[in-house]
Amino acid sequence: MVNLVVLSSQTHRNVRIATTRSSSGDAAVNAVSVIPREFPRLLAHYPIFFTKSTDTGQFEPAALLGFEPHENLFLLDGRWDAAYVPLQIQRQPFSLIPRRGDGAEGKPAALDVALDLSSPHIQTQEGERLFLADGQPSKFLQNVTSMLSALVSGSTEAYAFTGRLAELGLIEPVQIDIEFVDGSEAKMQGLYWIAAAALKALPAAQLAELRDREFLEWTYFQMASIAHLSALVARKNRLLSGVTAARP
Amino acid sequence: MAPQIDPQPVQKILVVGGGTAGWITAGVLASRYPRRGEDGISVTLIESRLQPPIGVGEGTWPTIRATLKQLGVTETDFLRECDASFKQGSQFVKWMDGSDADAYYHPFTLPVGYEERNLAPYWLEDPRGQSFAASMCFQTDVCSRALAPKQITTPEFTGLANYAYHLDAGKFAPFLQKHCVDKLGVRHVIDEIVRIESQDTGDISHLVTKSGETLTADLYIDCSGFSSLLIGKHLGVPFLSKKDVLFIDKAWAVQIPYPTDDAAITSVTVATAQSSGWVWDIGLTTRRGVGYVFSSAYMSDEGALEELKNYLSARGDLSRDLSFRKIDINSGYRQEFWTRNCVAVGLSAGFLEPLEASAIVMIELSAKSIANLLPSCRGGMQQAARLFNDTFRYRWERIVDFLKLHYVLSRRTDSRFWIDNRARESIPDSLRDGLEYWRDHCPWHEDFSHREEVFSAASYQYILYGMGFQTYPAPWLLNDRERNLAREKMSEVAQYGKALAASLPGNRDLLSKVRRYGLQKI
Repeated sequence: MVNLVVLSSQTHRNVRIATTRSSSGDAAVNAVSVIPREFPRLLAHYPIFFTKSTDTGQFEPAALLGFEPHENLFLLDGRWDAAYVPLQIQRQPFSLIPRRGDGAEGKPAALDVALDLSSPHIQTQEGERLFLADGQPSKFLQNVTSMLSALVSGSTEAYAFTGRLAELGLIEPVQIDIEFVDGSEAKMQGLYWIAAAALKALPAAQLAELRDREFLEWTYFQMASIAHLSALVARKNRLLSGVTAARP
Repeated sequence: MAPQIDPQPVQKILVVGGGTAGWITAGVLASRYPRRGEDGISVTLIESRLQPPIGVGEGTWPTIRATLKQLGVTETDFLRECDASFKQGSQFVKWMDGSDADAYYHPFTLPVGYEERNLAPYWLEDPRGQSFAASMCFQTDVCSRALAPKQITTPEFTGLANYAYHLDAGKFAPFLQKHCVDKLGVRHVIDEIVRIESQDTGDISHLVTKSGETLTADLYIDCSGFSSLLIGKHLGVPFLSKKDVLFIDKAWAVQIPYPTDDAAITSVTVATAQSSGWVWDIGLTTRRGVGYVFSSAYMSDEGALEELKNYLSARGDLSRDLSFRKIDINSGYRQEFWTRNCVAVGLSAGFLEPLEASAIVMIELSAKSIANLLPSCRGGMQQAARLFNDTFRYRWERIVDFLKLHYVLSRRTDSRFWIDNRARESIPDSLRDGLEYWRDHCPWHEDFSHREEVFSAASYQYILYGMGFQTYPAPWLLNDRERNLAREKMSEVAQYGKALAASLPGNRDLLSKVRRYGLQKI
């Protein structure tokens, strides 16, 4: 069970955060939502699709990490097997929560950094310190805070992006059927991607609008990223044929 | 010499009346036959705005989803602007014997295995303490827990369980109007009709409005409501009363606010039997619509109002500032619906008590049939009219039968209303024959003669077995293979129902989310 508490330099002075990632922890997911500002770096490793938020039904960009519900093929021996780790994974076990009692009268609530006490990342002996001896936030915590705020503004941008694409009919569902080396199969549902034909046929005025809002380059980043799907299949095949040993 | 076919093209369509019937019909025709310059179909709708819309029929059928899709509106806009909620069927309370435990569902999802086999006999043989609907349909569980038929991630107009809507008819017509005028090119005239002129042949030649405009059309569609301006008043087509079969002729209606903004919204129409009729209870997003339809032969207006207030007060819904509205109901339909160059849709064609929400679905079916039958020229209109009349006379008759079925199967003896409803002479022959046949044969497709039945064998199964009707099929008509299949399917229903119920949001929760985020088209 997630157990979020507001971070405090008093209570959490001695908390340390382990930055290794295990396949049983919060990184055990087969897709992770990402923000457009990450696309240039994600593009080097991950296929980026759209999934629907189970909370709002809105499309959000997501990097595909595996083919089974909790299968993350980028986790190997407690480390992340790619040079860039999506922010949504990096930020664990921190998040931002609205300040209690705030946000009345339609004004947005102030956000506090919160810590998930149930997370296996939380240690007392090893790992990164959150606070310095004088109670000031450590470099590590400052980095976490800037990641969290990047995710907040990035998610607003992401929804503006996907909302406009959906309006223009530029998102379409895609069914992915894969057969692996051992004969097992995966049928991926609930994934969407850029409707390439619709994008090609888009009137010039709308194309210009997408360009001006940076949406056009994000669109092409996403289309290009799909090439990594075969690399992801290859990761799984290596695992299945015993070329890579996976140890949690 | 062979008779000449009148070559006058049928292109100009005039819809008279701007309620639900008028706008659905105009929208279906305009979306089916988009304008193509001078030689296409043009649709004009005239309404007087003098008569406020009746606002009956807040319940719909799943067909409405295909109709809205055909018109090209989005489900998100529709839900938001018409205060609509998801309807997954009906619940009938106190119809059998009036006891507290007396209630059953008629869900929209078909009984399990219905596409392949008639499994009803095997439920009858061994119900295992479960109702027919609960054994044969996973949706019962979803309904009883006021869950939505879909998730926020489910695309527009699709569901995990079959569904329709409850809607605010007062908002539905303006919603359709805006779409028909802005997107479908329907011409909208707000004026009063002062004269209707005929040709020598008896066809309507034109209408004259108060502002002096002359409106001419090749086909006139009478959606003028109970006033039946064209089909009744002008063309004099007789009205066939069904009062001798369906005794309901009056209603009290009232709007009930929700106690809190997050109160659950029931996802079925609840119909609770009373001494001389029944109470409807429909949950929209903003309020509930409640009303008592009753028979004036058995109950005074004051007595009915008292009974309705009792219904409300038992639920803690009675307050001083409620305003009760009285409505007259004239059960029956026209002897013909399409005559000469005029066809009636909606209340001008007929109306029956709202027990199975048949009003809006009949509008949809009529609009669809007109679109399908629309002849190219005036010469083809007589045949179109004959086919339309045959089909719709049959449909109205089947609706009368199906409504009456609910009363015939009741065992209530607490008032003459219920006892007289079972009098042999009040039951149509077709229904009597059916009931006789279903004594040893469970309703199935072949029992009904049309391709598109308003009430299929599935609906008959839900009502008959929901109300405790017994069918005794001969043992040699049953077999182990189907028996095993039935058992398998019924255990699937139980499992699937449980899993689905765990994954579905509350009806209210989903509707609030749709208001906030909308649904995706894909």
